[in-house]
Amino acid sequence: MGGFYWIASYPKSGNTWMRLMLASLLNGGAPPDFTRTMGFAGAAGAIPDMDLFLDVDSSELTPAEQAELRHDLALVTAAATVEPQFRKVHDRWGHTPGGRPLFPPQVTLGSVYLVRDPRDVAVSWAHHSGSSLDDAIAFLAWPGAVIATAGRWKDQCEQRLDSWSGHVASWLAADPAPLLVPYERLLADPAGELAQVAAHCGIAAPDAAVTGAVAATRFERLRQEEEAHGFDLGQRRGRAFFRRGVAGGWRETLSTAQADRIVQDHGPAMARLGYL
Amino acid sequence: MTPAIARDSLAAPRLDRKLCGLRVTSDLPLPELPPWTGDDRSADLDIRLGEVPDTLDDGAVIHPLVQVAPDGRCRFALAAVGAYLVSSDGREVIVSPAPGAEDAEIRLFLFGTVFAMVCHRRGLLPLHACCVRVGDKAVAFAGDSGVGKSTLAATLWTRGYPLLADDVTVVDMNAPGGPRVLPAFPRVKLWRDSLERLGLPVDGLGAVRASLDKYHLPVEEGFCATSLPLAGLVQLEKSRQLPAGIRLLPGTQGLARLKMVLYRPRLMLRLGTQGQQMALFLRLLGSVGGLRALRRPETPAEWDELEALLPGLAG
Repeated sequence: MGGFYWIASYPKSGNTWMRLMLASLLNGGAPPDFTRTMGFAGAAGAIPDMDLFLDVDSSELTPAEQAELRHDLALVTAAATVEPQFRKVHDRWGHTPGGRPLFPPQVTLGSVYLVRDPRDVAVSWAHHSGSSLDDAIAFLAWPGAVIATAGRWKDQCEQRLDSWSGHVASWLAADPAPLLVPYERLLADPAGELAQVAAHCGIAAPDAAVTGAVAATRFERLRQEEEAHGFDLGQRRGRAFFRRGVAGGWRETLSTAQADRIVQDHGPAMARLGYL
Repeated sequence: MTPAIARDSLAAPRLDRKLCGLRVTSDLPLPELPPWTGDDRSADLDIRLGEVPDTLDDGAVIHPLVQVAPDGRCRFALAAVGAYLVSSDGREVIVSPAPGAEDAEIRLFLFGTVFAMVCHRRGLLPLHACCVRVGDKAVAFAGDSGVGKSTLAATLWTRGYPLLADDVTVVDMNAPGGPRVLPAFPRVKLWRDSLERLGLPVDGLGAVRASLDKYHLPVEEGFCATSLPLAGLVQLEKSRQLPAGIRLLPGTQGLARLKMVLYRPRLMLRLGTQGQQMALFLRLLGSVGGLRALRRPETPAEWDELEALLPGLAG
């Protein structure tokens, strides 16, 4: 039986950047092919996976049935190959309605948890989802936050995020414990962080490949590739997926009251992660 | 009409129906299936209410939904809906509804995974595809759930193309003269927002399950009830990064996309029918001139372009 490395984060926290880096690294540091849909580390609980591995049209299951079967999907998918598999995760770490782990420890080879200053997350989420900054701030504070709710052309199961603070708390208490990767550190030292992630995920990372992967996924480069070929990962149509790729950009965007509200909502978790 | 209804309801509740060319007898009402109008053969498929064991003797539990016994019987179950047992020859299905399950949802999974098991057991090839009539041929559009098959089926239906199938296109690979599509039943499953985009009213439509915002659109008018030769097979793709228009895929890619074109492809592994089904699929690719790919149409102009391409696909 194989197993999973879960690349987990709250949305807009560097998950796609990390996955592009890892995909490049696994390819010896070659640039990602933007003319194709990103094939590496698809979402955990993808509808096509559930359809394929559980032999059912999962879009015809209720969200509760889907949520319950996520546990089984992980077990069956892990058993299908001896190779380690990578999955993107935006769910909070937690359990199915029946109380079974969503990310079963017995098929978890490791987890990487990317985290980012929630003030930057709020600005990025507003851009991505096409909502106002105030709505984005409220979304980050909402314990009932769920993404990928039902509808046509949906290719992922509903993912329960919790509030940003709840998300952070769930993953920092996950079994097994994840490797914590702050977005800000990834920006400051991409090669060093990538090498750590690679070691955590059992990926060979010769220096040349790390250098290549970092160069191939520099923000300006991703932005250029997106402009040339497009990059559709659920953002509001017409908006860029790779927006700014900076840390602290919230200072130019959020009003003082908005920034204060985020600190009020998430103070303890922000302090725990060194954002205050 | 009245005597027929009286006889059916009092003395003979088991109405004979037609599903993919099979004569079906059933304890369950199956109102979406057309009545059997063919010859007086005995039933090809008998659907009965009865007990379904929780576990099959010596059966392999593949996952909570599917079990397969060494003698070839297979079981599908969903706690809120019921359990289904398919005989090893695919001629009988026993249904044990869960308490409180609605008829519509019992039929939903009966016509889904359970019927796929029946197809595998009977040597029929089920494609995850909708299918329309173009001239005197059939063209099937395959793809994963959510890619837009039903939207495509309904759109072409509103543009005057008769439908043979919405979600599962069953192909008889042993028909004289080459592969033929066996018509399913005149329903298209659509989410509310898809219906609204098509300008079709949701009011009065039955939900596929009470808890889902997805409905059965009846398409009796404009349903093609006769089998047709399959002339074209197209895989729908949704990425906007792909070029518009239809592309013929190289043979190796056609095979690699088997799991996106066959319906419930891993049932082959569960049921031990992969050798047979893959051979059928290869023959099918040969007979339709290879698998084509199409970025799903979204704009009126793209729908017009697709319509212009249809005669070529059926040619």
